[in-house]
Parts: sequence; structure tokens; C-alpha cells
Amino acid sequence: MATTKLGFIVQRPGYKSENPKLALTHAIASQSVEIYLDDDDEVTCDVAFVGEGVLNCIKDQKALDNYQFNSTESHVKMGLLCDLNIFICREDLEKYGMSESDIVLNAEEMGGDMDVKVVPYEEITKMMEEMKHLLFF
Amino acid sequence: MGKLTIGCFASLVGSTNLDFAVKLAGAALDKGHKVDLWVSGNGTMLSLQEQRAFKDYSYLEKPVKELMEKGLNVTACEACAEARGYHDSNTLEGVKRFSMDWYLGSTFDADRVLHIGGE
Amino acid sequence: MKLAVFVSDYRMTVDTLERLKPEKMGIILVQNGVYHASVKENGNASSILDSSADLYALKEDLETRGIDPANVDSKVKVVTFGDVVDLMFNDYEKTAWL
Repeated sequence: MATTKLGFIVQRPGYKSENPKLALTHAIASQSVEIYLDDDDEVTCDVAFVGEGVLNCIKDQKALDNYQFNSTESHVKMGLLCDLNIFICREDLEKYGMSESDIVLNAEEMGGDMDVKVVPYEEITKMMEEMKHLLFF
Repeated sequence: MGKLTIGCFASLVGSTNLDFAVKLAGAALDKGHKVDLWVSGNGTMLSLQEQRAFKDYSYLEKPVKELMEKGLNVTACEACAEARGYHDSNTLEGVKRFSMDWYLGSTFDADRVLHIGGE
Repeated sequence: MKLAVFVSDYRMTVDTLERLKPEKMGIILVQNGVYHASVKENGNASSILDSSADLYALKEDLETRGIDPANVDSKVKVVTFGDVVDLMFNDYEKTAWL
């Protein structure tokens, strides 16, 4: 059995660009990657929001109402439902005057039991060290 | 020799990120490496056939065809392509279309991954 | 971690580069990133050149922008696409495209 760990680093806000959403949809695709792998092999994805990327995590996004497409918030929740580790940089939240009360924390209403991990940047650095490959968005 | 997986999310026209990806893929193939190129988002424009070669725009159909003959494996994100009106019927011969898990599958045994996102 | 960072912009819109602290870092200047190798803004060279990382600039992208590879800062090594492939496979384990 072998595991390849991928680290998705989201550095930019979404909507003007689709890249943050694509980071999440690609990471969520780890749920079905086994069709390309041998039995027991796997690819796992951790996602970290850093810098302006933390703005993707503001809660109560109304993209579906206003533009008729899924919000980045809903993709974060879907990632949690898929048991992805989702890290949000604490220093960057504070830089933008936000706290945990301002962001999506879990997907409880969808039956999820994972929470986002609001962590110091140092923890995100450790995550990046542990990954085999990094993908910056 | 190793395996390089390149992901590129930038469009064929309007950016030179795809040009970079294709040139890097060519250099890696020349050195005997195996290369997978995944195009997603606006990058799926690379998968379109009958690109016209104007001197004011990037044109990659010919170099990509030549590199595919040398073994370059090009796959486009099917959902990203369909969302843009790019269908099987107008996909460049030899370019495959799969869902996003293909990219992750390619990274599994890749020695190096270069993800060109951020447009 | 041995990290090769591709810097593709002159005006960076993210602060990721200065926050990365790998054990070994190479900065490969490509596309508009190659301006860091030669342009002096108000007489000052790019702060990227003060980095302790190994610095490289892609010959093709320098030439494309009218920059003579012979005139880049002495800290920067001019490389080809083939050299970039070798750097990725031989000198670094992971990559970041900024």
C-alpha cells in the first residue's frame, strides 16, 4: 500500500478567478482517484488557505442566489464532508480582522463531522513539509 | 528517468502559461522523462482542434501534436471543457478527457509535479 | 524540504514567497518574473535578489522580453528549459508556481 500526499495551497480570493474553487474540486476528486490506482494505493489531499486565500472561507456566501453557481463556501463544506484536512491560517484571518466566528467552520448541517483547522502559519509549513507534492493556487 | 506531471489551468490565448508548460514538457521528453500534461479550467482550450495560427496569438496545436507523437500524454478536464462548449467532437485527436481524479492519479507515481495555477 | 519556486510575475500579488522557509530553495525566474533579474526600480534591484536562495532565470523568457542574458545580475544563473528540467529532477524535490 502506498500513499501520495498532495498539499493544495490557496493564496488568492475566489470568484474573479475560478482557481480557489478548482483547488477544492480537484482535492475532493481524491474520493474517486482509486479507479486509476492499484488496490490499497491512495492519493490524499490537504488544503490550506493562506494570505488573501483565507477570504474564501467567509461564511454566508450567496453566490448561488446571485450568480446561480455554487459558492466557495459550499465547496469548503463538501471538502469537509469528504474528510479533507482543511487548514486556515490564523495570522492571516487576524490580519483581515476576522475570527472563527466569521468563517465556515464545519458542515454539520450536511451531516459532516470534520471541522476546519484554524492554525498558525507554522502548522501549514509543517503540512507542506509532509506532502510529496505541492499545488499552489 | 522519471515522470513529470504538469497541471496547467491557464488559457491558450491570453496567457503564456500554457506555452511554458508545453515547452517544459518538450524539454523533459527530450531528456527521456515521461510527461503527463493535465489541462483544467481555461487550460482546456488547449484541447480544441483546428486552432488557427495567427502571429498575434499563442498557437500550440502543432507543437502539442508533435510532442504527443514523442509520448506526451495530454488530458483535459471533461467538466471544465464541457462548461466551455468544448466537446468530444471538437477535441484534438489524441487528447483524452477525464474527470479531475485523473490528475490526482497521475501525481501518484510522479517524481515531480509542477502545478501552474493562479491565473 | 528542497523547493524550486517558479516566480512568473514581476509585481507579486501574493506574499507566499517570503513566507516559504524550506531547507533549500531555488527561485526560477520565468515569464515576467525574469524582470527581477535585471530591472532596477528607482535605482534599486529587486529584493528577490537579496534572497539566500539559488537564483535562476530562463534564457528564452529573458530574450523574449529584450533582456540580454549577459546583462542579468551576477547572482542569477541563466538557464534553458532543459536546465530547468534537470534542476527539478536533480536539485529539488517539490515545486511551487507563484
